[in-house]
Amino acid sequence: MPEHTNNGMQCQEFDGLLADAIDGILSGSRLDRFQAHARACSACGPLLAEVEAGRNWLRELSEVNPPASLVTSILASTTGVETQRLRVHAPTPQRASLWERVQAWLSGATQPVFAQTWATVRQPRFAMSFGMAFFSISVALSVLGVKPADLSHVSLRPAAIRHTYYNTQARVVRYYENIRFVYEVESRVRELKRNVQPAEPAPNEATPDKKEHKDNTTQQPEQKQERNYSQPDNHLVLASARLGPSVNDAFRKNDPSVVLVSTYRRFV
Amino acid sequence: MEDVHVTAMLVRRCVAGDAAAWEEIVQTYNRRIYNICYRFAGSGNDAEDLTQEVFIKMYRTLPSYDASKGAFVTWVTTITRNLLVDHFRKTKQDRVTDSLDAPVSAQEDAQPLSEQIHDQSAPPDASVRSRELGETVHAALGKLSPELREAVILRDLQDLDYREIATVLKVPEGTVKSRINRGRAELARLLQRTYRQVM
Ligand SMILES: [Zn+2]
Repeated sequence: MPEHTNNGMQCQEFDGLLADAIDGILSGSRLDRFQAHARACSACGPLLAEVEAGRNWLRELSEVNPPASLVTSILASTTGVETQRLRVHAPTPQRASLWERVQAWLSGATQPVFAQTWATVRQPRFAMSFGMAFFSISVALSVLGVKPADLSHVSLRPAAIRHTYYNTQARVVRYYENIRFVYEVESRVRELKRNVQPAEPAPNEATPDKKEHKDNTTQQPEQKQERNYSQPDNHLVLASARLGPSVNDAFRKNDPSVVLVSTYRRFV
Repeated sequence: MEDVHVTAMLVRRCVAGDAAAWEEIVQTYNRRIYNICYRFAGSGNDAEDLTQEVFIKMYRTLPSYDASKGAFVTWVTTITRNLLVDHFRKTKQDRVTDSLDAPVSAQEDAQPLSEQIHDQSAPPDASVRSRELGETVHAALGKLSPELREAVILRDLQDLDYREIATVLKVPEGTVKSRINRGRAELARLLQRTYRQVM
């Protein structure tokens, strides 16, 4: 396009100033020359109009509200990550403490197996996990309607304990099934709502890029950059994105609350 | 845009294991990330999944954030953008398959965008019209090539400056400007075709 040389400005220079001109930060003689070229050049004039129109269209897009459940889901999945990571990677405390000395005494006084068990038990993170487990159990029991007072009446005969155990387990299973059911119903309702009045339609997923390839006259230089979106394996960061789901998989074994969250997401 | 010291402190607290600090980060950035994902991926469901993935990724890599190397919002946007590229590649395979199943490209070109979206006529109410307009622009945005789409989203919807966008996309500022211009122009061409008979 170098044949368009109007008022001393070439199309290439015009292109370079276009963004600034749209932003309104072009001034003085540069602005004058820019405007003169826009008036005179049969390619750049319409381009300026299009760019401006496109920018105005984009201004029509207001921010959308994320679903109310988003923050909760994020916190559930990420806090789960933290727990998991600490369990696997947390360094053992190095300080020789009273505990250390007690353990040294114990390992001298008792057989090694016990000492090893004790070594595990004395670690703060074990104590923490134990505390958390105890807390979870008491919460679960209170949710299920078991009061500590009831426990004093519980028969400690093996058969009776077995009975209580299976009873409680059945209730726990029912409880989680109910939660699942509620989530499922909730997500179905959302799905229905979406179908009835789509706030903003999902773009045509089957054929999104075909048109643009035909219309885009300025495509040649883009081919190189296309690589970003078409060639795998050259972005380290990208590959690790897949950790998301696999992390969830790891939780599924350990953490019931995370199971619920991911189940919920699958349904939506 | 952000108070560097406040954010740096927040990140430090978070890395030290402060759950409240992490929640504050989630509260502050979930809307921004969700909107980028929604405008890029097109659907609310995808945006929700992607936003969650972004935060999982953020949480794991937070210790690697270096406040001296750039604003937190740029770092967050870079993570988001990288996941979007990944998402695009993953779903591209499906879309290629879909388009092979349905060879309608000629037909589709003949049909205006507005008819693809609205098959029934809506009451001529101003708010409805504005919502329809938003839907039409959103759909047209989804038809831009991913490079142009991400550029206009970051500039015109997220208000990032050219330098920040250049950092996120890892391309020179000149390239950023050129992509933004081409993205806007391409969008206008798509929409002018749609609205030619209306306006
Ligand atoms: Zn020109």
